[in-house]
Amino acid sequence: MAKEIKVPQISEGVDTAVISEILVSKGDKIEEDQSMISVETDKATAEIPATAGGTIKEIKVSEGDEVSVGDVIIILEDNGDGSEEKEEDESKNKEEETSEDKKEEAEKEEEKPDSDEKEKDESKSAKKEEEQKEDKEEDEDEDDEEDAAEEDDEKKKSKGSEAKKDKDTDEDSSKEVYASPGVRRLARELGVNLEEISGSGESGRITEKDVKEYKEGGSKKSSSGQAKLPDFSKWGAVENKPLNNIKKTTAKNVLASWQSIPHVFQFGEADISGVETYIEDHKEKVEEAGGKLTLTAILTKIVATALHKFPTFNASIDMDKEEMILKKYVNINIAVATEDGLLVPVIKNADQKSIKDLSVEISEIAEKAREQKLSKEDMEGGNFSISNLGGIGGTNFTPIVYHPQVAILGISRATTKPVYIDGKFEPRSILPLSLSYDHRLIDGADGAGFMNWLVKALEDPYEALLG
Amino acid sequence: MAKEDRKELVIIGAGPGGYAAAFHAADLGIKVTLIDPEVNPGGVCLYRGCIPSKALLHLAKTKEEAMHASKWGIKFEEPKIDIKKVAGWKEKVVKKLTEGLGQLSEARDIEYIQGKAKFTGEHKLEVTNNKGKTSDLSFEKVIIATGSSAVGLPDLEIDHDKIWDATDALELKEIPKKLLVVGGGYIGLELGSVYAALGTKVSIAEMTPGFLPGTDRDLVKVFEKNEPFKDVFFETKVEEVKITKKGVKVSLKGKKEEQNKKFDRVLVAVGRKPNTQNLGLKKLGISANEKGFLEVDNKRRTKLEHVFAIGDITGEPMLAHKASHEGRITAEVIAGKKGAAYDPKVIPAIVFTNPELAWCGLTEEEAKEKDKNVKVVKFPWSASGRAVSIGENTGLTKLLIDKETEVILGGAVAGKNAGSLIPEIALAIEMGSTASDLSLTIHPHPTLSETIMESAELFYGGATHYKKA
Repeated sequence: MAKEIKVPQISEGVDTAVISEILVSKGDKIEEDQSMISVETDKATAEIPATAGGTIKEIKVSEGDEVSVGDVIIILEDNGDGSEEKEEDESKNKEEETSEDKKEEAEKEEEKPDSDEKEKDESKSAKKEEEQKEDKEEDEDEDDEEDAAEEDDEKKKSKGSEAKKDKDTDEDSSKEVYASPGVRRLARELGVNLEEISGSGESGRITEKDVKEYKEGGSKKSSSGQAKLPDFSKWGAVENKPLNNIKKTTAKNVLASWQSIPHVFQFGEADISGVETYIEDHKEKVEEAGGKLTLTAILTKIVATALHKFPTFNASIDMDKEEMILKKYVNINIAVATEDGLLVPVIKNADQKSIKDLSVEISEIAEKAREQKLSKEDMEGGNFSISNLGGIGGTNFTPIVYHPQVAILGISRATTKPVYIDGKFEPRSILPLSLSYDHRLIDGADGAGFMNWLVKALEDPYEALLG
Repeated sequence: MAKEDRKELVIIGAGPGGYAAAFHAADLGIKVTLIDPEVNPGGVCLYRGCIPSKALLHLAKTKEEAMHASKWGIKFEEPKIDIKKVAGWKEKVVKKLTEGLGQLSEARDIEYIQGKAKFTGEHKLEVTNNKGKTSDLSFEKVIIATGSSAVGLPDLEIDHDKIWDATDALELKEIPKKLLVVGGGYIGLELGSVYAALGTKVSIAEMTPGFLPGTDRDLVKVFEKNEPFKDVFFETKVEEVKITKKGVKVSLKGKKEEQNKKFDRVLVAVGRKPNTQNLGLKKLGISANEKGFLEVDNKRRTKLEHVFAIGDITGEPMLAHKASHEGRITAEVIAGKKGAAYDPKVIPAIVFTNPELAWCGLTEEEAKEKDKNVKVVKFPWSASGRAVSIGENTGLTKLLIDKETEVILGGAVAGKNAGSLIPEIALAIEMGSTASDLSLTIHPHPTLSETIMESAELFYGGATHYKKA
């Protein structure tokens, strides 16, 4: 039987990638796990390994194509049992579900009400974002309809998956949108694209209520859910530059995080005069090992220890199942600024590593990030993030939690301040810390406790470790 | 000449598209100027099309039914036809309706200008009245609704004497003994039926292998069962036409043989073309496409922001009800209604022969072409109590239903009053109704409408009054 090789989950939160290089050609014999195609995601370049061995029958993509997780990229020769036809059909059907084809389909349909085509492959969370965003932007005159929207939020979710099923089975027979003429007109009035609505009526028929609710909860949105921008060139020269993949993903992720996580910000200050001496004393030893002893490395160690003490900070929240997921491993993301944008590689099992090891690893991975050489594994599986802007400056900032994590620590620049100690002022190095956390899982008391513990650990680690 | 104020909205052509647009726009508070060569609104439809032909077809049907009644025990004598009176009655119908439209127009304070319009600029046009006098006017916005006219054939010039177009046929000046209708489309069949009923021996020549090309054959068969015409020549072209003193000699070239026939009159009904010539479109700044149609968006707007077009000039199907729908939509667009747009799912088509044929939405032929996953259900009228009780056993009602979603995608009716039955199916399709919506709606008994309900029942396996053998 013909085997298909599909785009695997490349990295957390990354559903699409651009084919940057095809490393094999038709007719090649490949082995399982051999790299076949290299893709560029928003975060890194990754090579997709073969999930099976065999002779390549067909390469379904070309360089520059955008692919989504699950897309078939390569078909391997079968052993000739005649079942390949069917396989091909299946793959064809799947392809039809991709956004590009949907665009074509939309074009085929004539006289569609103002069908400005929209991206349909947005993740569920992205869709939710938009809905929530929309809430904010809602015009005043629609306030009175808000209640209904809330009530149906849940319903909509389940409807969504049903409709998807419908569409899958019904792909060929008809892409028709079923809605009465009056409802179609209402949709145009409200600027709603009926194709995006899953109707609540029989056979998915869209009712007036569906359209109104969608409008309230959902998207009049341009493709991104954003209100239309004015023509800025009216006021002066502008330059339009496309966003690179990293920026696009960051934008999508931070928006999703910001809209789905109720943030609380906790600030703290730590006297790191002692830590600075410690760094001064041990810096050469670490340099010999090939790393750089930094505050980030030390804080990574401290946070790793804190995560054991405060397990809800090392967790995720699943509202669908109404449960929290406590992780028994400690992986910490370190935010790295690169030329192309923000990357957050992961230090695995940070709690089991020494400060020296962490220093070396952080140096290495930051370098990898800047050279855009992060692999899929380098980006996955983080539980908590640290963002250090101390090198740049500022007194405090409020980083956004990296969904599905529940907390992030922001480090600003330490400054020398007079501190009243034993009856007199002493110049001490004071480090401003910011902790942003998901209030759904973490209470204010825990947040303050976590911050206190970090401060204590920086100032007097023995006492902190005493318990 | 004194320069006139700019008119807010000028509508050129007062047919079903133009007057519907004018009336609705006026109702929405727009000051409307309506320009048409006729004394009252109505256009071809009322003066020389739908309405007079339906009046005559009604007479034809009345006569046929009366003749038919002899089978049931009521025998009439051979009817005497007073052609002058018939023509007079038809004129009365036309007059009553067009005058009514004139009153409706006046009641809405619409400025009605009798004459022909021609654009002289982007916002200017010239009106020539029936006496040849011209006047200029300027406008903010314009709706072009100039309709269509009959086309001739290259070797078959319409001389309005022995070679007729539909307008000539509707004049009803005489009842020829032998009439050749060139064209087996709906106009040819309707007018052919009228003359057949009046006693003319009607022959039909059609280029394709059957009547009403594109229409499902099972419907056409219902019509053919009545054998309304003397001779029917399919796959036949009119090769040569010689006009003699007495009549017309026509050589018909069929697939195999060529035959010469003599007729008194020839009616050419091979199609219609949009009236987009001699309008000064170039001066306006737009042009028709290669088929003569004006291209418009779903707001019926041409490429110019202030110029709209509706009706026959915007493309097939060239039907009055499509035009008036477009007219109303366009009036709303101009009035600033955001939701207004032309997006019908179906446009019903009706052939007003006896029996009538009507359909809308997906046809069986299309379903086959597009390989649609539909179930076609047909309910024969021989199983309908009402149909049998009025002697309409040959009729047929059918629905095309999506096998998976059960949504009605198309439907057709062939038989008496089919034209009045089809809107229910059209509504069902527009509403996205399923077969169960139709089968669960109580239909009054005994009526022909039950055939629609029972067709829907057939989708689920069995109808009360019909069991497929």
